[in-house]
Amino acid sequence: MELSSFVQNLMNGLAIGSVYAIFALGYTLVFSILGIINFAHGAVFTLGAYFTYTLVVGQFENNGLLKGINLFPDGSPFSGSAVMFGLATILGACAAGAVAVLIERLAFRPMRSRGADPLLALVSSLGVALVIVNLIQLLVGAEIYNFPSDAYGEVRPALSFKIGEKIVIIRTVQLIIFAVSLVMLAVLGYVIGRTKVGKALRAVAESPSTASLLGISVDRFILITFFLSGFLGGLAGTLVGTAFGVAGPYFGVVYGLKGLAVIVLGGLGSIPGAVAGGLVIGLAEAFVPAEYSAYKDAVAFALLFVILLVRPQGLLGRNLIQKV
Amino acid sequence: MTDSKAPLLSIENLSVNYGAIQAVRDLSVAVNEGEVVTLIGANGAGKTTTLRAVSRLLKPVAGRITFMGRDITRLPADEAVKLGIAQSPEGRQVLARQSVQDNLELGGYTRSNAEVKIDIDRMYGRFPRLGERRSQMAGTLSGGEQQMLAIARALMSRPKLLLLDEPSLGLAPIIVREIFDIIRELNAQGVTILLVEQNARLAMQSSHRTYVLDAGQLTLQGNSAELVNDERVLQAYLGG
Repeated sequence: MELSSFVQNLMNGLAIGSVYAIFALGYTLVFSILGIINFAHGAVFTLGAYFTYTLVVGQFENNGLLKGINLFPDGSPFSGSAVMFGLATILGACAAGAVAVLIERLAFRPMRSRGADPLLALVSSLGVALVIVNLIQLLVGAEIYNFPSDAYGEVRPALSFKIGEKIVIIRTVQLIIFAVSLVMLAVLGYVIGRTKVGKALRAVAESPSTASLLGISVDRFILITFFLSGFLGGLAGTLVGTAFGVAGPYFGVVYGLKGLAVIVLGGLGSIPGAVAGGLVIGLAEAFVPAEYSAYKDAVAFALLFVILLVRPQGLLGRNLIQKV
Repeated sequence: MTDSKAPLLSIENLSVNYGAIQAVRDLSVAVNEGEVVTLIGANGAGKTTTLRAVSRLLKPVAGRITFMGRDITRLPADEAVKLGIAQSPEGRQVLARQSVQDNLELGGYTRSNAEVKIDIDRMYGRFPRLGERRSQMAGTLSGGEQQMLAIARALMSRPKLLLLDEPSLGLAPIIVREIFDIIRELNAQGVTILLVEQNARLAMQSSHRTYVLDAGQLTLQGNSAELVNDERVLQAYLGG
């Protein structure tokens, strides 16, 4: 492979890989605390993109019940500058976080308080996901919506540089994705590793009963975890929506599934694992030769099968079989 | 105003189930301020269940728990800590993947950072071995050190009532003696203690009053000094 192609693929891989990592962290947080997979995470991802789009554009003019409603007849205050667009992204992610909390209340808590099998909570969250996705379709239709190119103001759409004779292009959006992901991971790592709240969260993840004995409200931390998880998912959804367009209510499904591959590859419940898994899958996808690009999505799941055969605890996971 | 004669902790007609099994049935126990009270009994007698109910990890199906004059029967577990109840649970339950320092900090979760800092230094003074290992992961400590950590962690919330669940479990006799010296000292400093122990002799030697549980029900109670010579207790629990 030529150096320029290698660098191009590397850039693409890191960008998409860091989105996968951010998204997968949402799964990891919930899994650490409750030991279950939140199948509505992909729907929250989707909602994040739609929420931000609502703030930045204010209308869904193609189809759906909300067709014809324009929130900002004089133009959205969130469009036109990078700072305002960034604010819209954060607000969209917060709204996604709020929905995640709602999902916890409606889909997970009732199961838990009745002592139901964890599997039932999984099915419950799947149901919620379907409801959300269909609700989106009902309200705004299934058409693709693209963020207007001037939404983040006067920004160069891409950087390009030459390696040898070939040109390597890095879209600004990709740089932003990478930067946002890095910042997010650093903040998360700091909060979880070094703050009182983070230590309490780890305590709840390790042993909810022990945490209760220390005066930690397990309930409140479950809420915090779901909000964080939804925030990350919504943020990832907005980043993807900005980079590739909001491709209909089902565009989160593939990400939802790939996110599962990411966390199994990285190691269930491991935060560094989610990051490693995300980057590995992102890079692997980016290096798929052009002629097979239609099969790109299969890469994640092929890796999933391989890791389950070779090292089921994942790259950075602990041994599944504990020594007694 | 609390009546100075009213017990600090009052358990009345407590019944707790594990699913369909009645683990504790119609139990009444009182702990007065300044006392060490012990619950003894065989495995499965309901001792741990009782402590878990007091710490509000379990919901009673009947009965009442009163602490400092307040009905706490339905109180959430984290609020019980804020009221002044702390437990060193069965099996120590140190947070293995966090450091000794972190464990102690989390023990002081309900208190201010400044207070926690002062108290942690005090804990290291009282338990130098913990101080030596403050950055170590709690899971790598020996059994005796973990028990010390569990007790120190419980003390971090400055509890009015300290619940100790089987502090001697799995520890060598010399370490057990050390732990019980600590218990005695704590009580001398004014900490009220409800102690659950399988080691009946040691428990009765270290406490003012004893309650004996059998299959979830109270069978005997009385002053420890008297009960330790009681025929029934001798036969059932003291190997004589």
